[in-house]
Amino acid sequence: MVSPRAGKAHRLSAEERDQLLPNLRAVGWNELEGRDAIFKQFHFKDFNRAFGFMTRVALQAEKLDHHPEWFNVYNKVHITLSTHECAGLSERDINLASFIEQVAVSMT
Amino acid sequence: MVSKLSQLQTELLAALLESGLSKEALIQALGEPGPYLLAGDGPLDKGEACGGGRGELAELPNGLGETRGSEDETDDDGEDFTPPILKELENLSPEEAAHQKAVVEALLQEDPWRVAKMVKSYLQQHNIPQREVVDTTGLNQSHLSQHLNKGTPMKTQKRAALYTWYVRKQREVAQQFTHAGQGGLIEEPTGDELPTKKGRRNRFKWGPASQQILFQAYERQKNPSKEERETLVEECNRAECIQRGVSPSQAQGLGSNLVTEVRVYNWFANRRKEEAFRHKLAMDTYSGPPPGPGPGSALPAHSSPGLPPPALSPSKVHGVRYGQPATSETAEVPSSSGGPLVTVSTPLHQVSPTGLEPSHSLLSTEAKLVSATGGPLPPVSTLTALHSLEQTSPGLNQQPQNLIMASLPGVMTIGPGEPASLGPTFTNTGASTLVIGLASTQAQSVPVINSMGSSLTTLQPVQFSQPLHASYQQPLMPPVQSHVTQSPFMATMAQLQNPHALYSHKPEVAQYTHTGLLPQTMLITDTTNLSALASLTPTKQVRPRSAALPRLSQTPHRHTPGAQESALLPQVFTSDTEASSESGLHTPASQATTLHVPSQDPAGIQHLQPAHRLSASPTMSSSSLVLYQSSDSSNGHSHLLPSNHSVIETFISTQMASSSQ
Repeated sequence: MVSPRAGKAHRLSAEERDQLLPNLRAVGWNELEGRDAIFKQFHFKDFNRAFGFMTRVALQAEKLDHHPEWFNVYNKVHITLSTHECAGLSERDINLASFIEQVAVSMT
Repeated sequence: MVSKLSQLQTELLAALLESGLSKEALIQALGEPGPYLLAGDGPLDKGEACGGGRGELAELPNGLGETRGSEDETDDDGEDFTPPILKELENLSPEEAAHQKAVVEALLQEDPWRVAKMVKSYLQQHNIPQREVVDTTGLNQSHLSQHLNKGTPMKTQKRAALYTWYVRKQREVAQQFTHAGQGGLIEEPTGDELPTKKGRRNRFKWGPASQQILFQAYERQKNPSKEERETLVEECNRAECIQRGVSPSQAQGLGSNLVTEVRVYNWFANRRKEEAFRHKLAMDTYSGPPPGPGPGSALPAHSSPGLPPPALSPSKVHGVRYGQPATSETAEVPSSSGGPLVTVSTPLHQVSPTGLEPSHSLLSTEAKLVSATGGPLPPVSTLTALHSLEQTSPGLNQQPQNLIMASLPGVMTIGPGEPASLGPTFTNTGASTLVIGLASTQAQSVPVINSMGSSLTTLQPVQFSQPLHASYQQPLMPPVQSHVTQSPFMATMAQLQNPHALYSHKPEVAQYTHTGLLPQTMLITDTTNLSALASLTPTKQVRPRSAALPRLSQTPHRHTPGAQESALLPQVFTSDTEASSESGLHTPASQATTLHVPSQDPAGIQHLQPAHRLSASPTMSSSSLVLYQSSDSSNGHSHLLPSNHSVIETFISTQMASSSQ
């Protein structure tokens, strides 16, 4: 499912990664071992907020047509972003991650 | 936002809004029934339910709340968890269930009678059959009906079931209407929920608004074309929607009570049949109790309106039918029963001959009789309609009709000697019964007196020209020969006789027919009748009478020595073959109240019977009031009279007594 909005699904080149990932790394996104993906854990005050956060992310993901892999238990949300089409990171992941950050900040 | 929102609901709602969803869009989305199984989808107006619901419902937030949350607190608030489990089928959402429960509770607190009135008016407004309520609530139909109509007390639990049904039904209907455009009901709101009645749609029922429209259209034209029917369909559906307070565009929501073109077609067909039946009855009344099974055949003849019963309401032509044959019969018939004559008169009253007047009354009684015996019963509905439509004054009784009926006693059932046969069947709706006998008489002066019976069977279009075969019917009535005369004659006769057999009235008229009837001649004891007859217009009414009577006197047939008739009714019978005699009749008789047709005539009358229609001897006609004396049978024709005899005797005034037999 190629969505123009989601950006290209090609795997990020090294240069691009060098360009884009530092920002994400700075806010807590880490690259996973053994997998070309980025990961972050979020904590919220309570389930409501956590789920509110998730709702927002979900809505956006639908819009971007790019979905995260995530896990939620009460107030924690673990999110892993990767692009299936290219089996690695792509622009879409970067975009979504950015959005997630914005939301997370606003959520507390 | 809304205070009552749970945190998560708030969160989610916020998320939604932040996702780019505008408030308007959200609200609009809420308005769509579509994908949202909103608890509040149903009537949201139940404020009380909301409050109640809220209280009951758990405060556990649930997704549904989100949508409603924003504005109203109706129902929800806590959408409850439990309710959905219980109501899953009916209620779309737990909120709704709670809401409904709350409404029911509130209703239970109210005055039961007031609520019953509300429910009843709702049933009427939406034309919902009680059966549906009974099926779904398990209440006893009689109990339910009494509770709703008369306020008979009902236990709380049962009332709760009723109110629950009411609340749910309202929801269903509301949905039905909202989804009208969407092809149908979302739920199975109507009908019963029993699985067995899957196709359960309720039986269609006409609403008062639609019926009004249809009746008006019927007045204009009895046989509308397809386009006209379609127009009526639209009109009716619109009216029904308006009655229910719904926009006409949602006609589909009418469900089982939706008016379709086929239904309109059937309605018109039924009304036409009803009218025909009415005529038939009217005719029967005049002709008197039908002689027997015969009349059935005769009756159907309705169509013979051909007979121009002058006096009779033209419309009642049908009646004429009877009359005609009756007249002829009567003339001949006196045989069957003297009795019938008598009875015939009574029924006449019923019939309200349009044309004939007082005489009608006689006839009416006869008519009644006749009708009783009447032939095929019209569909029940017709009778109802008829009655409602024809509320002619009883006194008048549909005279023309009656007359006919009376005169045709024979027509109807003219059963041999069955006096009653004629009359009773005529309920007379007042149809043109009179026509029956009278009409025919004209030509022939067939004394329609059916009298006694069977003569009328023939019901054949009494063309009077023909012999009064019909008149045999009830000899009770003096052979009213002329068709026309018959009616008045019959009427009078009827009156005279009436007390007796119901049937008799018919026969009475028939009696006039001279033939055999003579002996039986009906005594028109009723002076009033006579006068009425007289007034009737000699031509018309009298005619038959005279026809009948005259026969008596004149016809040589009158074998009966009784001849009193002739003596008695000199005028009556006067041999005037035509109506003339009738008038004569009236007078003499009239006042006499007993017109009795000299039994003698029996011979004459009898002639009629045998088949001749009194054509030949109009004489009879004049004798409209011929009282057939049953005794007369002497002639042998007695068949007509014999029975009448007894009957007649009663009526027969002194005159008769003397004269005859």
